[in-house]
This record gives sequence, structure tokens and C-alpha cells, in this order.
Amino acid sequence: MSDKQDEKLDALLRARRVEPTSRDLAQRIILKAQSLPQNQTLPLMQWLRQLFAEFHLPKPAYVVVSALVLGIIVGFSTPDRTASKDEDSTSVQSFLDADEVPL
Amino acid sequence: MATGWPEKDDQELLALIQEGSHQAFAELVQRHTERFYRLAYRYVQNRETAEDLVQDAFLRLWENPASWRPDRNSKFTTWFYRIVVNLCLDWQKKKRPMPLDEDMPLADERESADEAMIRIQEQRLLEKEIAALPERQRTALNLCFDQGLSNQEAAETMGVNLKALQSLIMRAKTTLRERMKAYL
Repeated sequence: MSDKQDEKLDALLRARRVEPTSRDLAQRIILKAQSLPQNQTLPLMQWLRQLFAEFHLPKPAYVVVSALVLGIIVGFSTPDRTASKDEDSTSVQSFLDADEVPL
Repeated sequence: MATGWPEKDDQELLALIQEGSHQAFAELVQRHTERFYRLAYRYVQNRETAEDLVQDAFLRLWENPASWRPDRNSKFTTWFYRIVVNLCLDWQKKKRPMPLDEDMPLADERESADEAMIRIQEQRLLEKEIAALPERQRTALNLCFDQGLSNQEAAETMGVNLKALQSLIMRAKTTLRERMKAYL
């Protein structure tokens, strides 16, 4: 492919014609916008970011708070296994004994 | 309409638009309407449609100013080029491409009749062949040759790296050279 062809193609590409726009296109857009309300709903992430920005917390604070929340969630969701087997059997026995009390 | 805010850059105007400023919106529209119209025209080859698409893009920005994210979008024009291109491509998917108007005066009126005829044929063929290119190659050509964007800016607009953009342009030009052999 010759350089001359390249140059001619480039020249053709740069000389592509565009019909001129209406003179009042910008005005039409501006006028139309004046009759339209703005939708100020923020995307969730942006809303959260703005909310956090209000508190001006440093980054380590987020880590601490996240660790605490995670700890609480894990703590509540883990079954209590601290009671010993003996205690379990005692409480079962006392429950059964209570049943045998004469009415 | 003189808006009186030429000293404000696009980002500042967008911040004001997000606060509901019609004046900032007017300044932004007047500043950029022409360039986005040219881009839209490249895709639709029809003045009314291109104007409608540009109007639609600006009104979407007005109605949803939060869609502009200064932290994510580096430059307004780069971001808005993408919006206009997407609107044009959506329009093309919905409608059949419009044929070039036969009466459209494509040539320079100062040329002789023969020269004008050849120029018209060249331009018609070029537009036809560009319209037949794959979407991304077409967008790369439109951004680099018509909008005068640097390759880097065009790459950012298209969300590709520089090498990918150069490859798209090279492939597009190879195809065009091949198909327009008789005129080059």
C-alpha cells in the first residue's frame, strides 16, 4: 500500500462533510431543560459515600467498626458450647425429677 | 444567550448543574453542542436525527445530574462522547440506516462539474464503506479523524488501551483502502 494512497485516504477522512446544525439547537436544549425537573436520586454507593463523608471518619475507624460488627455477628450466630456435659445432664435430670412431683 | 461563565471549567459547571443551576447547564450546552452534533451526525447522516440525539443526551444529563461522577469520570467530554455514541448506536439498532440523501450537496461549490462529481462519488462511497465497518472500528475513526481527539483520548472514550485503538484504526483504514482502491 503506497504512502500516497494513505495520504489520500487520510485527507478524505478529514474532509468528510457534516450538514451544519440548526442555529438554535443549543437554545432549544436549554429551553427544554427549563421545563424538566431534575431527578436528584443518588445511586446507592454514592449516597453511602456521601453519608460516610459527613462523619469524616479516618480509614482505621472503619476497620475497627467493621471488626466489631463482624465479631458481634459471629458471636450471636455461634451456638453456646461452654456448658459442660455434666451440667447438661444435671439440668436434664432436674427437669425429669420435676415431672415426678406428685400433683 | 450569553451565560457569562466562560471562566468555569466543565467540572465546575457540572457541580453547579448537580445543584440545579440552569445557567451552568446553558453554558455547558453552548460550549459543547456543536462537537457532539458532529459526532452524532457521523453515525446517523441526518441533521434532524443527530440534533434529536444530542438534545436527548443533554436532557438526560440535566434530568439525572448524579450520573456524572467526578471521582470516576476524568473528563466531561470523554464521558459524554461515550453517552452520545451509545445513543447513536442504540438508534442504529432500532432503525434501519438512512441512505445518503441523493440531493445532498456534498461537494464544494467552487469545484468544476467533473471534479464535483468525482468528489461526490468519493464521499458517498466513503460514507457507505465507513457505515459498513464494524462498530468499534467506526467509532475509532469518528473520534480520531472527525472529532480531532488524540489517540489517547479516543482510547479513554472507548474504554480500550492505546494499542487496541491503534489496531482498530489500522484495520479500518486497511478495509477502506481496499474497498476504495479505484478512488485512491
